Amino acid sequence: MKRRLPGLVVLTLLGLVAVPIGAGAQGKDTLTVALPSHAPTLDPHMHFERVGILVNINMFDSLLHRSAKLEFEPSLALSWKALNDTTWEFKLRKGVKFHDGSILTAEDVKFSFDRVLEPGKEQKKSPQYGNVRAIKEVKIVNADTIHLITDKPFPLLLERVVFFPIVPKKHIEKVGEEAFGSTAAVGTGPWKLVEWKRDQHIRLEAFDQHWRGKPAFKYVVFRAIPEVATAVAELKTGGVDIIRNVNADLMPDIKSHPLTRISTTPILRVHYISLDMRSAPFDKKAARQAANYAIDKQAMIQKMMAGLGRQVATVVQPAAFGFDPSVPPYPYDPKKAKELLAQAGYPNGVDITLHSSSVDWRPHFEALGQMLTEVGLRTTVKMWDPGPAWNKFFQSEGKATNGQYGNWGNYSVFDADAVLHPLYHTEPGGWIGKHYARVEGLDKLIDEGRSSIDQAKRKRIYAEIQRMIREEAPSIFLYTQNDTLGISKKVAYEARPDEWLWLFAAKPVN
Amino acid sequence: MSAFLIRRLLRFVVVCVGVSVVTFSILHASGDPVALIMPEAPEADRVKLREALGLSDPLPTQFVRFVTNAARGEFGRSFFYREPAFGLVIERMPTTLALTCLAVAVALAVALPVGIYSAVRRNTVTDHAATVVVFLGQSMPVFWIGIMLMLLFAVQWRLLPVSGWDTWPSVVLPSVTLGAFTTPLFMRIIRSSMLEVINLDYVRTARAKGLSEWLVICRHALRNAALPIVTVIGLQFGLLLGGAVLTETVFAVPGVGRLLVRAIVQLDFPIVQAGVFLLAMIIVSVNFLVDVLYVYLNPTIRLR
Amino acid sequence: MAVTLPQQAVAYEVSVGTASGSRAWRRFALNPAALAGMLILLVVVGAALAAPWVVPHDPAKQSLLRRFTPPVWQTGGNAAYPLGTDQVGRDVLSRIVHGARISLLVGVSAVIVSLLVGVTAGLVSGFVGGKVDTAIGTVVDVTLSFPQILLTRVVRAEVMALREKEFIEAARAIGVGRLRIIFRHVLPNTVSSIVVMSTLQVAQAILAEAALSFLGVGSGRAYPTWGQMISLGRDFVTVAWWLPTLPGLAILVTVLAINLVGDRLRDALDPRTT
Repeated sequence: MKRRLPGLVVLTLLGLVAVPIGAGAQGKDTLTVALPSHAPTLDPHMHFERVGILVNINMFDSLLHRSAKLEFEPSLALSWKALNDTTWEFKLRKGVKFHDGSILTAEDVKFSFDRVLEPGKEQKKSPQYGNVRAIKEVKIVNADTIHLITDKPFPLLLERVVFFPIVPKKHIEKVGEEAFGSTAAVGTGPWKLVEWKRDQHIRLEAFDQHWRGKPAFKYVVFRAIPEVATAVAELKTGGVDIIRNVNADLMPDIKSHPLTRISTTPILRVHYISLDMRSAPFDKKAARQAANYAIDKQAMIQKMMAGLGRQVATVVQPAAFGFDPSVPPYPYDPKKAKELLAQAGYPNGVDITLHSSSVDWRPHFEALGQMLTEVGLRTTVKMWDPGPAWNKFFQSEGKATNGQYGNWGNYSVFDADAVLHPLYHTEPGGWIGKHYARVEGLDKLIDEGRSSIDQAKRKRIYAEIQRMIREEAPSIFLYTQNDTLGISKKVAYEARPDEWLWLFAAKPVN
Repeated sequence: MSAFLIRRLLRFVVVCVGVSVVTFSILHASGDPVALIMPEAPEADRVKLREALGLSDPLPTQFVRFVTNAARGEFGRSFFYREPAFGLVIERMPTTLALTCLAVAVALAVALPVGIYSAVRRNTVTDHAATVVVFLGQSMPVFWIGIMLMLLFAVQWRLLPVSGWDTWPSVVLPSVTLGAFTTPLFMRIIRSSMLEVINLDYVRTARAKGLSEWLVICRHALRNAALPIVTVIGLQFGLLLGGAVLTETVFAVPGVGRLLVRAIVQLDFPIVQAGVFLLAMIIVSVNFLVDVLYVYLNPTIRLR
Repeated sequence: MAVTLPQQAVAYEVSVGTASGSRAWRRFALNPAALAGMLILLVVVGAALAAPWVVPHDPAKQSLLRRFTPPVWQTGGNAAYPLGTDQVGRDVLSRIVHGARISLLVGVSAVIVSLLVGVTAGLVSGFVGGKVDTAIGTVVDVTLSFPQILLTRVVRAEVMALREKEFIEAARAIGVGRLRIIFRHVLPNTVSSIVVMSTLQVAQAILAEAALSFLGVGSGRAYPTWGQMISLGRDFVTVAWWLPTLPGLAILVTVLAINLVGDRLRDALDPRTT
């Protein structure tokens, strides 16, 4: 019996190895994308993760789509027009099929909006509620026509509708929300769900009856790969075809590898250091301006971003509506910075602490801290792991003094409001503005800008805002960045200015 | 014999309770989860959520609820995934266990021949060299071994897949990485156990009878090593699971380790509780089994 | 309460007997592996102590112009930065030397804490026995996944073995107080095990710190530990191999040295492996 023991042990070990020998199919008809993680659900309305959005847009359609040139295109809506200041009319495309074969109707559209808006309910389930809060009612006029009615004029409506996936009412009512978000996700997009192994892979198959036609790739797989080095290794060995957020320093390696290349394009994402204006030293304008003169933005762009960035005068991005090119950016002038700091009352400098949760940009954060230190703003950089502890510290308690280094992507909305409101509005408050920014008169201007649909008027208001914040310097203004993808040479696909992975446009190279 | 087992069982139960208390208190001491789930919400909403999650009841009530639910496998829903935490943990447990067992197998496969040889040819150059080489594995951070192996075998020589856990070749690198880390301790145990018996009377008798040297070693001396090895596997299990977490991150293996780490950072209480509880149970059970096995294999041990 | 057997077996494996001093030392010192280990440790500890005066550059000084300079023996290397620079141009050699200081500090503090707890618990547990022993044993079982606990068991096993020894019996017979017995007779005999175990645990603590840094627990420090250096540099391994590899080598060499020394120390003091 004792002799048999080792054998038994070995057998048990083998038996315990519950390794599913899946069809690790990597054929020519499969497009594999690496994501750092998976969203907690496939339900497009019940999460707010970039990694989730990237998957959703390939499985679900919205009323509008955006072309690679950022122009609005018909998607589930064939045409649209504003009937008045608060009502938009959308004419729906006919004969669109869901993955389960049923036909898209106006009921599905209303259902999709209502499940996020939840009219009548106090506590909203969807984390995306804030984006479409302005919509008061969704009215079905007839089988092909929908009205979106807002409570005030809402200039961002079309932008928000570009990512608002339409989901099937009857199907969700039948299978329930939980199943819809995990195993029974059904949409109208180019690919349908085959399998989702949480935090491992999401496997999609081409939907033959998609209204645009069949996509070039039969299968799409989204693999969750948390380690950057692992993702790059997978790209080089053909394990994945596309990786995102390629660090500027890793670009030469991918470019020089025979099987891979880089695709890069400027995007909205803007970098900034928001300053806490409630306390010293940044309660003084001179100190804030000094901080702006202290940073050598061009050096950062050239040395740390391989030149793939663009200095901006404020936080409003060149591609956003309302951008005013006549507002001059702060040049790099360390001498002037020291003078201004002395003017503010700190001739011998002052100690400050800056916080950030942008772990991917840590080297940049450290370099910026060093530049500030050199003019007398002796900076301690504190890096946080993104997560609930950071959210509590930074957002709900507002303790990130003396400032925060971050970047903002506008959620791909190409409008100045989408960055001004969250960063500077104080009451009821944007995300950052609630605690840290205190520029007089700014709230009023921001409110004016977002409650008119007269584009000329809005442009004037935003020009005034940009001049105001350039002078008041509630933040250290930095630069916008590029979106850089690593792509296998066997795939024809290019990066988009809205950071989307619109895989329908991807084709195999022969 | 049965008295011993009963005592061990009681101890087992007490330990389970201890683990529950520790898990429960640590997490509740780290801060208000509601403030973490919805940092921007007004206080009124937060109060509602707190009540809904049962967090406004007195602590002892919460603890009792926790234990009774845990016994049923009910740990609540993950804050992040919104799915039952227990299910999420159980789903991934076999993968992590498989990785750990494969690592142990790899470690034994290396440690056995090297340990035996080292014992038989003691204090030779080979013995010393083997010791040093095997120590190397224990002296490197696990994730470093993993990254190096990946770069060499997967990227440079393209012999194995870079990451994942879905084909037989893809389990090789993670298992070897984790195994490299455990090998030295096994080797040491084997070596010293072998040394203990190699000159004993009954072995000498066997040799005198003319049996081949290796046969003698393998059959008689090796048996002596079996017990300590089994013991050490039990004791090292905790350390192995820790190493598994790192290996899972590097090689994108969908195990409990990765899930748990993220849950800890995000203060996703239900998952942390479910995961820690289950892992602790496994470790304690493994040790209990080891105790039983030990007595069974060597009934000559006297109990005080 | 019965001693838990398998654990005792291992504890005995790992523990040392009371071999005579000078013979043990000779056996230890003549071993080439141990000598090499001691030499390495001397260098490491020396570097840690002398760090601020020995380093060529300020470990926190950045230079965007000097980013990713390779080590001096590669093309593009610069003698001013023998081991190269990192992603913001800081000198790697200076950071590694300072890292010795921090890493050793972390390792040693962790072990000191566990020593205090573990040795005390082990002494009390083994000597007093009875219900106290059961209670402590149970608590130990609860946290069994932490390696420090092994120390508690080792000391306990030692103490229990010693307790039966005649000289202890004799001391008790003439009425020497319990506490005195513990400190004057029992403790010194367990010191050798404690030394060996603690040595090995400094190694484990260094590795554990590296693992925690890897998983993302840590804020920005001016002087990082080796583990933090690996964590910061690992994304760049394909374009700047020296960033994660050199701190990794530092850990490897230090931990290896500790293991070799600790292992041979144990062999030398244990009368069984003659």
